[in-house]
Amino acid sequence: MSQPALTNPRLPDARLERMYALALHLYPGNFRLAYASPMRQAFRDALADDAFSRRKLIPMVLKDLVQSLIREHSAMMRDTFARPTLVYNGLVLAVLATVLSLALYGIPQQVLRMGANDPQVQLSGDLAAQLEQGVSPADAMPPGHVDIAHSLAPFVIAYDQTGKPIASQGTLDGSIPTPPKGVFDYALQNGEDRPTWTPRHGVRLATVVRRVGGAHPGFVLAGRSLNEVQQRIQHVWDMAAVAWLFMLGLIFVGTTAFGWYTRPQATQMS
Amino acid sequence: MATRFAPATPLSPAVFAILLSLAEGEQNGASGPGPWGGKHGYLIMKDARAPRGGGITLGPGTLYGSLERMMRDGLVEESSMSDDERRRYYRLTGLGHRVFATELERLDAAVSSARSLGLIPHGGRS
Repeated sequence: MSQPALTNPRLPDARLERMYALALHLYPGNFRLAYASPMRQAFRDALADDAFSRRKLIPMVLKDLVQSLIREHSAMMRDTFARPTLVYNGLVLAVLATVLSLALYGIPQQVLRMGANDPQVQLSGDLAAQLEQGVSPADAMPPGHVDIAHSLAPFVIAYDQTGKPIASQGTLDGSIPTPPKGVFDYALQNGEDRPTWTPRHGVRLATVVRRVGGAHPGFVLAGRSLNEVQQRIQHVWDMAAVAWLFMLGLIFVGTTAFGWYTRPQATQMS
Repeated sequence: MATRFAPATPLSPAVFAILLSLAEGEQNGASGPGPWGGKHGYLIMKDARAPRGGGITLGPGTLYGSLERMMRDGLVEESSMSDDERRRYYRLTGLGHRVFATELERLDAAVSSARSLGLIPHGGRS
């Protein structure tokens, strides 16, 4: 077996070799530490080999440099950051951050939404009590008119047993709105229902519906616009989203830094 | 395959060319006394570039990147032979032999199939 002999490089070759040696610094540290010397030697051998013309060698080495740099850096990134333990830990932390953020949104959202029912609970209770004591629906209505589409004020409506409105403090676009029959059915069975009602697009109401007995049996509905509450809930959502993104960013940076400082280290091979 | 850690075939052209070069060196060098010392990087590059070596252009970066992964997979090993501290010599391992033989069988079957279908003209190589 004949192996090419090591020859003294001519001046242009020495310059080319120095340039190649500089380019080897672009490789990842571990790879460079292990292979820079034999790679430089292989390049020197190729320069010294008359069978390899410069015209073909230089473009080949440049192409190889670009391709292998991409490959070795990809391999280094994979070895450093795609270790199963690291990825698993990162994913677990990301799931925890997501659950925490959902809780950060979900708990205040429920508190705000349930709190939006408070005046209606009292209003519907008072109206139902008056009707059961024999006061006529018209007389039992609180004073003042409420435009349901635009006002934030609570309002009450009285319905008969069939769900037909018989007296109302508020109107929507000039008429008295009626909730779906299922709401009355539920209130009939359970005494009370507290649905979120959308009588038309752009109008969402927090309502409390009670069954009424006595002289004027039927139902009373107390409602209030959810506009303000929805804005607060949206604000909570925005804050939870920012917190989630911040936590994910922190986990990414922390995991990346941990992966970098605990990356596999190569020892120089002789 | 003898070990479950062996890389799956088909092998990449670079890996095949390196295995072929080392196998060829072992065939030609095994007649000498003592264990064969292996081939250094540039000689593998040269073999791979020759038509009989597959006509693969291997630069130093591709060569040593492939050698590192092949060492990690147990296909080749660095030999203790050294005529210059900057040169490294590599040779096939037992697993490397088996993987190379498997790949040759696969290629041989494909070539035989192509020949039986008349896809390889008479007088063609192999």
